[in-house]
Amino acid sequence: MLQTHGLTLAAAGRELVRGLDWRVEPGQRWCVIGRNAAGKSTLLRALAGVGEVGVVQRGEVHWQGRGQRDWSAIDAAALRAFMPQQAIDRFPITVARLLELSIVRPHQDRQAVLAALELAALAPRPVLELSGGERQRVALAQCVLQGAPLLMLDEPVAFQDPAHQALVARWLSTRAASDQALVISAHDVNWIARTATHVLALLPTGQCEQGTAAQLLEAGLLERVYGCGWRAVGGVWVAD
Amino acid sequence: MPLTGARLWALAATLAALALAVTLMALALGSAGLDVELIRTLRAPRVAAAAGVGALLALSGLAMQSLLRNPLADPYVLGTSGGAAVGALLALVFGVAMTLGAAAGALAAGAVLLWLARRALATTDDASPRLILAGAMLAALFGAIASLLLSLTPDQRLRGAIFWLVGDLSGTDDAGVSLLAAVVFTGWFVWRERAIDRLLLGSVAAHLLGEPVKRLRFELLLGASLAAALAVASAGAIGFVGLVVPHALRLAGVQRTRDLALLAPVGGAALLVAADLLARTVVLPLELPVGAVMALVGAPVFVWFLARGGR
Repeated sequence: MLQTHGLTLAAAGRELVRGLDWRVEPGQRWCVIGRNAAGKSTLLRALAGVGEVGVVQRGEVHWQGRGQRDWSAIDAAALRAFMPQQAIDRFPITVARLLELSIVRPHQDRQAVLAALELAALAPRPVLELSGGERQRVALAQCVLQGAPLLMLDEPVAFQDPAHQALVARWLSTRAASDQALVISAHDVNWIARTATHVLALLPTGQCEQGTAAQLLEAGLLERVYGCGWRAVGGVWVAD
Repeated sequence: MPLTGARLWALAATLAALALAVTLMALALGSAGLDVELIRTLRAPRVAAAAGVGALLALSGLAMQSLLRNPLADPYVLGTSGGAAVGALLALVFGVAMTLGAAAGALAAGAVLLWLARRALATTDDASPRLILAGAMLAALFGAIASLLLSLTPDQRLRGAIFWLVGDLSGTDDAGVSLLAAVVFTGWFVWRERAIDRLLLGSVAAHLLGEPVKRLRFELLLGASLAAALAVASAGAIGFVGLVVPHALRLAGVQRTRDLALLAPVGGAALLVAADLLARTVVLPLELPVGAVMALVGAPVFVWFLARGGR
């Protein structure tokens, strides 16, 4: 569904990602991990085909076997959705209208999505009045209601309380059951362990490690990624 | 809270009634009282001109706000009207059609503004503070150029030129064009409403949803500039209508571009007809420039709106 061939991303004279060859298949849930400023957001934006000023991109990104640049904006909208780290709202519209504007392929059960993300009561509220966590779950709903099978989510639980982090983890785990694929950036290793099937690790050198979550979430790699020691205490990862 | 259904219709009906009442008052009141001939030959064309210009200014403001994703954008504040005024003055000096000069000036000013905003609009999606500053500087620059041009204008034309720069409806006689343009522009807004509402979510969000962002921006720039140019060419640079009318409607709870585009021209027309009525009746037999009246009454009202609804 998504492939990169020799993808290199550089910003401010530094190579964030170097020569990434990678495949994302339907049914997979990938988590991208890396330190702050490692290039997770830059990678997600490049995968989504959203240009970024100051980023040099080499190599190729293919969607369903076809070069990203060969897709029209309308076809691309039916294929991939992207949730940025933070939405900046300027105008007072309701959650219901925002969600309605986000629909490209209307085949999702809107009420079910709203109920699953505990958003049903928010529908008549203006977006400018939502809390950070509520706005983020609305953004997640927007992304899903777009109807695209390839979802790229940039830190979808950054503002969620523990209960809602668990809710989103459970719900995302049901998304990619069949024809959908997810690429998610996140920091909480334990949240990643319960959400992801696969992990792509961005190392400080610009190199990438990829594999199943079970393979990659181990103390040695985590130490290389984050530069600190890791212990598993009763099945929970703790950074030292 | 956002307005929907019956409450939106109630607001529309209230606004229409207000516009009608203001129009009737503007037709009936004036220095010579009720006189059918006077109403037909003088007041009616002037009221129609005020309505057309007011509607165009409100729509131009709405388009600028959508284009720059900033609820405080306005053709007067951001220099588009100033560009139109300079273009019209240049046309006056060189003996070219004024509307043509105004259109060229407004388009040039709008293009410069969009160019200044391009980086901010492409990256952070949020061009607000710097853009308003850049627009204000652009407006100041055009004001300076207009002053220079005025000092070069021959004396016999000077009085007309000045009045016209401040905003004055006394010499206007082509209301038909303004009204027709306002109807066409409203229709365009209604036709494009979904794309424009998506653009208000940000250029990245609109692009991700498959909207042709660049083309949409070009159309908005063209519409905003032409509407401002037509307004300036027929009544001079009148500020504030494009800023306050959409803003007041949003504060009242109107949220969709379709509803705003249908209500804003009615509100703009009513506002400018009322302001012109004030301008020509407050200090009888003197006539004040409507642009000055508009700013004197409108600016405090706008500040009050901000203080009440702002956060």
